[in-house]
Amino acid sequence: MKQAILLFAIVIAAVSLGAGQNAPPANSSGTSVEEWQKQFDEVCSKTQDAMTISIEELKSLIQKCDALEPQIQKLEETRKKVYQRRLGQCRGLYAYVLESKEKDKK
Amino acid sequence: MKRIVLLAATLALVLPALSSDEGAVKKRRPLPYEYGRVVLNSYSEKSALAPVVFDHWRHRAKFSCRVCHVDIGFAMKAGATGINAADNIRGYYCGTCHNGKSVFDGKTLFQSCSKTLTDEDRMRCERCHSYGQTDRGDADFLRFAQALPRERFGNGLDWQQAEELGIIHPADFVPGISIKRKSLTIQQDFALSPKLQGMPDIIFSHKKHTVWNGCELCHPEIFVGVKRGTTRYSMVGIFEGKYCGVCHNTVAFPLTDCQRCHSKPMQAEAKE
Repeated sequence: MKQAILLFAIVIAAVSLGAGQNAPPANSSGTSVEEWQKQFDEVCSKTQDAMTISIEELKSLIQKCDALEPQIQKLEETRKKVYQRRLGQCRGLYAYVLESKEKDKK
Repeated sequence: MKRIVLLAATLALVLPALSSDEGAVKKRRPLPYEYGRVVLNSYSEKSALAPVVFDHWRHRAKFSCRVCHVDIGFAMKAGATGINAADNIRGYYCGTCHNGKSVFDGKTLFQSCSKTLTDEDRMRCERCHSYGQTDRGDADFLRFAQALPRERFGNGLDWQQAEELGIIHPADFVPGISIKRKSLTIQQDFALSPKLQGMPDIIFSHKKHTVWNGCELCHPEIFVGVKRGTTRYSMVGIFEGKYCGVCHNTVAFPLTDCQRCHSKPMQAEAKE
């Protein structure tokens, strides 16, 4: 009986691990959000009003993007490809606005 | 002597045209239902499948450009994403929505790729892997276009007006993929003066562009210069697919529709 329970537990654990590997990211739907993705969502949710963000905040957002990069590098192939591009666009915009603001300041 | 000069002059004119591909081949103007069509063949033929035919018109009535080119991660250049079946099976790119589970407009969206290959699967594969096969686009497009306002070029449809009139409702959010963002801070419109004298100024509307694209789709990938006037745009570059030409000549209204950009009314010349 014990053996059967143990086997059942192993099978359940293996199935859930396997399912998790291919699962698409879940962020705004609110289920099983990983920590890096929470950070990604928070950092890249400000692209809409990038022009109204202060220079200091833009610098901080760029730093946060850079800190996310190594975590995205560790993702499986497809997910990495998608999120590298998304992070690149988000960081690129902040850097672009920052450069524009710094030029205006001079 | 005259003959030799004439022959040399003729050769001088003809040879450069023959040696240049651009000079020798005239592109066929796409039909309305073909405009915005992208053929993807990074891996299809290598896998004994027909290349994928993607018609932008089928999707742009339902989703903003940003949903696909920012949130889902499709590159702006055809083939640059390098999508493969495994990506779709994992639930990314086409597989984000085309997964056999997502429901849109009351219909379950077909699964884009799968590991199995039955006869039924093959029919499903051919919905996208359809290059060189019977083109259903014409009839589907005519049916779709009936209710939409007309334009002269491209798809022959005024997409912007279609949205303003509430005929189409492109979604800007896909649950589980898109980030919840604040409403957009719209930047002011500005005018650009063309190099050609007598050509009306270009009125660039941030509002019109950011509604569908957001900011990060264009900056800095397409428009790098941060200070207005530092990048010298030319129609040659734009026709080659740079700057405005990334979208306007491929998906959005084409460059032949001059007055939609060169839209500032000309001032009457002062009378002497």
